[in-house]
Amino acid sequence: MHLGMVIDLKRCVGCQACTIACKSENGTPPEVLFTKVLEQVAGEYPIVKKKFIPVLCNHCEDAPCVRVCPTGATTKREDGIVLVDNNKCIGCRACYVACPYKNRIFLKKGSLKNGYHGKQLTPYELVKYPKWQEGVVLKCTFCVERVDQGLDPSCVQTCPADARIFGDLSNPESKVSRLIRQRGGFQPLSEDNTEPSVYYIE
Amino acid sequence: MPKTMPLVGNEFVSGFRLQTEWATLIAAAFFFGKIGSGLFLMSVFLTNSWLGALVGLLIVLVGKGGAHLLYLGRPERFWRGLMKPGTSWVARGFWAMMIMMVSGTLFLISPAGSAASSVFALIAGLSAFVVAIYDGFLMNSSPSIPLWNTAMMPVLCLFYSLLGGTTLTLFLIEFGFTEVAIATVFLSNMEIVLLITNLIVIGLYLLSMTNATAAAKESLRLLVSGTYALPFYVLALGFGLIFTLLMSYFVGTAGGAGVVGLITAADLVGHYFLFYLLLRVGVYKPVLGQLTM
Repeated sequence: MHLGMVIDLKRCVGCQACTIACKSENGTPPEVLFTKVLEQVAGEYPIVKKKFIPVLCNHCEDAPCVRVCPTGATTKREDGIVLVDNNKCIGCRACYVACPYKNRIFLKKGSLKNGYHGKQLTPYELVKYPKWQEGVVLKCTFCVERVDQGLDPSCVQTCPADARIFGDLSNPESKVSRLIRQRGGFQPLSEDNTEPSVYYIE
Repeated sequence: MPKTMPLVGNEFVSGFRLQTEWATLIAAAFFFGKIGSGLFLMSVFLTNSWLGALVGLLIVLVGKGGAHLLYLGRPERFWRGLMKPGTSWVARGFWAMMIMMVSGTLFLISPAGSAASSVFALIAGLSAFVVAIYDGFLMNSSPSIPLWNTAMMPVLCLFYSLLGGTTLTLFLIEFGFTEVAIATVFLSNMEIVLLITNLIVIGLYLLSMTNATAAAKESLRLLVSGTYALPFYVLALGFGLIFTLLMSYFVGTAGGAGVVGLITAADLVGHYFLFYLLLRVGVYKPVLGQLTM
């Protein structure tokens, strides 16, 4: 099995619902976004075109972050999901720098002291924050806890436009494989030979 | 990729993004690693200076090791950085540093001229060589930042390491800290040759970036005509190489300890700032290409 995602750029409306769903699912501290939607604009007023580009960890097949990690904290599961072990990470940020997509986040010291509403953490934050550690690197996990239960990642489930599709890239009959085949799916920065598991279609 | 893509920060906009994580402390670690290992190599294989070798080891241990520890998010787990030398240049550099420390110390305490001393000198020298250049491989090994993703980086690191080692050796001699087995004039000439070589290597490196990808060109623009142009021209090139070269050529060691001290300070400032600026102007490519109408 090789889990991956297809993002339909024609469907994305830039609502950032995926961004919020991810934060809600993972309970990440302020300034930590595992996924977000970037805007890209072309042309000049009044002839303007805008495109939305959802970005997240691409769970690359040949992930530079796995290669450069000196501790073995960043690993790749058999199903292709790239994970960071908080207890092994030393915070050298070699992976952060090596990721061509800049999709890793370093959790600075003090990040867990303040929540979204000042120094007093909300009950929600008190429940979610203990799983994070300061001084280590974090990233999207494809919502691995949900995936292990047979569910889609939170961003996929939430997307109101059905712009994110999750599935098995190794199965030629899966929806993701068919979309890539039929609509010419392409990988971001394919010239870097990292073999991302996230494809875009237009 | 067209040049019209913007340079963006953390905003939700697609474009070139600046590398922000590796800056002051990593530049300091690279700097101390290069000058320390350079001084150690010079002292062991060229000048036969016991004190020079000791100072080189201490610079690497305290300067480089200290800067790395200060930078790590979880310094108490630093030892885990040794776990994956098979694929990670960080781990390889860490191993090289450890081997250099141990074999260098054994070299210093071994009787001069003994077989053990020669063996330890060889091991320590090889590991010091790796410490001198691994930063270049570390930066080169990542495809994310095209400015660093070039075979010129290890070359630049090697020549800067040798230059730093030569400068510090001259400093130690002129200030009467050590005596060396070779003529000072040879070291002075070597310094001049290395300064010219470094100027040429930097020139070639930057020239190669003019034909590289758009992100490399954006880095180059930031360095030579953008935000970081002033410190690049004044500190890295002007003070670090051109002033040093002119002072070394026209005055040199004949000017006495004061002049050598000034040359050393200028060289070290230029060295630090060159690598600091190369780290700061690292630019990531946009995730997807230019949007067209």
